[in-house]
Amino acid sequence: MERMSLTVNGETIETQINPGTTLQKFLHDTLGLTGTKEGCGEGLCGCCTVRVDGKAVKSCIILALQVNGKSVQTIEGLAKGETLDPVQEAFLDHGAFQCGYCTPGMIMTSRSFLDENPAPSEKEIRYALSGNLCRCTGYHKIVKAVLSVDPKKEIVAK
Amino acid sequence: MKVKNEHEYNNDYEYIGKPERNVNGVEKVTGAAKFCSDIERSRMLYGKVKRSPYPHARIISIDTSKAKVLPGVKVVIVGDEETAPLRFGAGVADEYVLARGKVLYVGDAVAAVAAETEEIAEAAVDLIEVEYEELTPVFDGDEAFSQNPPAILHEDLKNYTTIRSVPPRYADKRPNVFNYFRIRRDYDKNAFKDADIVLENRFEVAMIHHVQMEPHCGVAEIDGTGRLTVTGTTSKPYGMHRDISESRRMPSSTVRVIVPTHVGGSFGGREPKAEQIAASLALAQKGFPKRPVKMWLTREEQLMTSTTRARYIVEIKTGAKKDGTLVANEMTTILVGGAYAGTGYLTARNGSFGPAANYKIPHFKLDAYGVYTNQRMAGAFRGFGNAETLWGMECNMDMIAEKLNIDPLEFRLMNCTDEGDLNAFQEKMHSVGAKECLQAAARDIEWGKKPESPKEPYLKMGKGIALGNKYSLVPTASACFVKVHPDGRVELRTSTVELGQGSNTIFSQMISEEFKIPVSKVRVLNPDTDCTPFDLGTASSRSTFNMGNAIRKACADAKKQLFEIAAKELDVSVDLLVTAQSRVFVKDDPEKSLDISELFIPMVIGGYTLKEGGEILGKATYYLPGVMPDPETGKSSRPASFYMFVAQAAEVEVDIQTGKIKVTKMVTANDCGKAMNPIMVEGQQDGGVLSMGIGSALLEEVIVDNGVMLNPQFADYKIPTTLDCPDCDNYKSAIIETAHREGPWGAKGVGEGTMVSSAPAIANAIYDAIGIRFHEIPITPEKVLAALKEKEKSGRATFGGNHDKRLSDMENK
Repeated sequence: MERMSLTVNGETIETQINPGTTLQKFLHDTLGLTGTKEGCGEGLCGCCTVRVDGKAVKSCIILALQVNGKSVQTIEGLAKGETLDPVQEAFLDHGAFQCGYCTPGMIMTSRSFLDENPAPSEKEIRYALSGNLCRCTGYHKIVKAVLSVDPKKEIVAK
Repeated sequence: MKVKNEHEYNNDYEYIGKPERNVNGVEKVTGAAKFCSDIERSRMLYGKVKRSPYPHARIISIDTSKAKVLPGVKVVIVGDEETAPLRFGAGVADEYVLARGKVLYVGDAVAAVAAETEEIAEAAVDLIEVEYEELTPVFDGDEAFSQNPPAILHEDLKNYTTIRSVPPRYADKRPNVFNYFRIRRDYDKNAFKDADIVLENRFEVAMIHHVQMEPHCGVAEIDGTGRLTVTGTTSKPYGMHRDISESRRMPSSTVRVIVPTHVGGSFGGREPKAEQIAASLALAQKGFPKRPVKMWLTREEQLMTSTTRARYIVEIKTGAKKDGTLVANEMTTILVGGAYAGTGYLTARNGSFGPAANYKIPHFKLDAYGVYTNQRMAGAFRGFGNAETLWGMECNMDMIAEKLNIDPLEFRLMNCTDEGDLNAFQEKMHSVGAKECLQAAARDIEWGKKPESPKEPYLKMGKGIALGNKYSLVPTASACFVKVHPDGRVELRTSTVELGQGSNTIFSQMISEEFKIPVSKVRVLNPDTDCTPFDLGTASSRSTFNMGNAIRKACADAKKQLFEIAAKELDVSVDLLVTAQSRVFVKDDPEKSLDISELFIPMVIGGYTLKEGGEILGKATYYLPGVMPDPETGKSSRPASFYMFVAQAAEVEVDIQTGKIKVTKMVTANDCGKAMNPIMVEGQQDGGVLSMGIGSALLEEVIVDNGVMLNPQFADYKIPTTLDCPDCDNYKSAIIETAHREGPWGAKGVGEGTMVSSAPAIANAIYDAIGIRFHEIPITPEKVLAALKEKEKSGRATFGGNHDKRLSDMENK
């Protein structure tokens, strides 16, 4: 077991961890943050996407120990209190999800991307989300939802 | 009868037909949604499966001794009288929970382990030693179908238990056939004599996978009385309930099945094998208390071993007059199934319905078979066989249109069925939106207008269109309970599974409409056989129509109970009462009213009671038996509940240097009767066309070598990404509303009809672009390049699908 210290959704966590544990397993199984789903375990579907120091990361293909000392944000940490993130609101408005299994990863990738590029073109959004698989929606409403996020509104929400 | 209300969100109703937000949406976007795979229990054990490495082999011996002594291992089971006493299956009981005697595909479950951790269970599985005697396998559909196949999978097939309501029919001389269905409408050797042109072709589709984002999962728990509860990812709680209890000779009420509110997709492929194995592992524990067991397939296991959409062979011979009138149609279809029939037994039969209902064809012959091969089960997949059979029919239609020099759209418009026409079952069609769908798709793709040619000479553009339909099955039944709570809120108890399609939302809207309360005051319970009554299953696009009708009836029953109590309180007659906003009003005297809470008596210590009746609980069943088709002719006045029509059109760009095909525009028009929620309908359209339509046409194939899947990862099994779908402005979905006289508010369904014409529309567009007729899907860049090369060499403009082969050569083979 190795000692590790990190921030998860703003909370500092000091823990002992088996060095072989992936970040996804640590978040999902150990911390019970079940929004971080395993879809393939190989970094190919994006269901497990979280943010590490603001950057979108597929948590099933990095070890928990690799984020030692860093700040992790999961889907559970995205809303500010009762106020949903504009991306979450946009997904609700557009019906940009069906079964919901890929949704946390899809939203985390979108949030991270929009922080870097607040007013993207459709093409840029499609490239940014191309590593997140969804079988239900054909991505149409997802892309529309991300396109609809108003950069000005976001600043207010923050 | 027709209500055309295309893309019209406003209507006369207060709640239905409106783009309400998904009632489970907040859970889904905040990470609060709990799926079966998220379930954790104290002292839970984890199951893993030992799988066969051979496609066909006799099990000589299984040695589990090393696995049993590995620390942390709690249960090891093999297929024996205790674990797997009886076979189970959707229509043909042909499968044991764990194989007995023989293994029939690579991945067939031979033993299972439950241990303290997944890692220990996996290590234990590796310690199980199985000795096999290899047998000759059969993979090829034509060979499996023959009278002397290289392998017979189920020698004892004729003695298996089969379902009584829609029994399978075997083919006497073909031992691997697990179902045979036929249609004969005014058919004899003269059927084609009035035809000026007859075109006969063979088409095939590849095996593909549903790729539900949540892999299959089951959690089995046993309480102190020995009662078994299984929570799973099934789409048919009562089907799984039957499989679990009957295959173990357990009295049905000793088994409880739960499905969480959140299941990560189904698309027809949720056969309950993981749940079955979890149940066996839990039951095999000795002593008390018994620990919960979770069985969760890895992505690789799911892609390699769970149900697929079968490879399909479609041979079609169509005759038409010079003026374009269809005269006769003859079809043979083979669902190249897996080692166990599963829902494939019904898919093989019901794939006939699409071709039977698409066009007015006076002479019609169809023979549909499902055959066993040494591959994993192939069963239901969005469209239930009809995307496959219509793939053949809709390509052939374009080929005839070209020969007759008639526009493919016109050709379809002049032959498609309409209200009152007879289909091949000789059933009088009702609620047919074929023409409207074709017209909407043609409008949205700008049919008749040539695509803009790109500057690059190596990019070729083309357009294609196709028509399809999807029936919903009979016999069928849905039941539900509607409870009115003392706080005026209404709860629905239904066994419909919310798989992402939005059933919880539209059911809430239906109840809102009936009780005139906001959607936020309705709650839908998740399926639980202890409290939600029977439903046939969340399949066949049947929930809106069947459960919707049950809901309306149960609401009427609940309101009757409510009004009977209120009538006494208000001293008026029952038929003068109405309800809205959780109050009961006297129709013509709105001043006279009561809050629903006032009908309940608050009790000492707590709670509320009614003077009699227990609670306000409306109950109802919607049962539609239909009429079983005649076994020889298929004749039936009601072989299906309803038909959903769809037309789709594509514009493609083919790069003749690389073979890459880009779908530049895609449009779909779906006749759903009446949209209960346009966002949910569009969601079904989007996913059906963009993910599965484009995926099946261009990208997806389970590649198998000697029974082993070679591409069981997302790196190699490609489903569409955001980049494979056309841009938002180049995709259009139209909702056509052709009301059904028996549907709730006229509604039918939508989900399964959404990909039945995608592949032929795309293939027809590819033909328009490069003049090559593909007889198989997926149409990959490799195939495009090979076909272009062949065309240049020999002038041949057809490719793939064994298009030179004929099943008729097999008549006596």
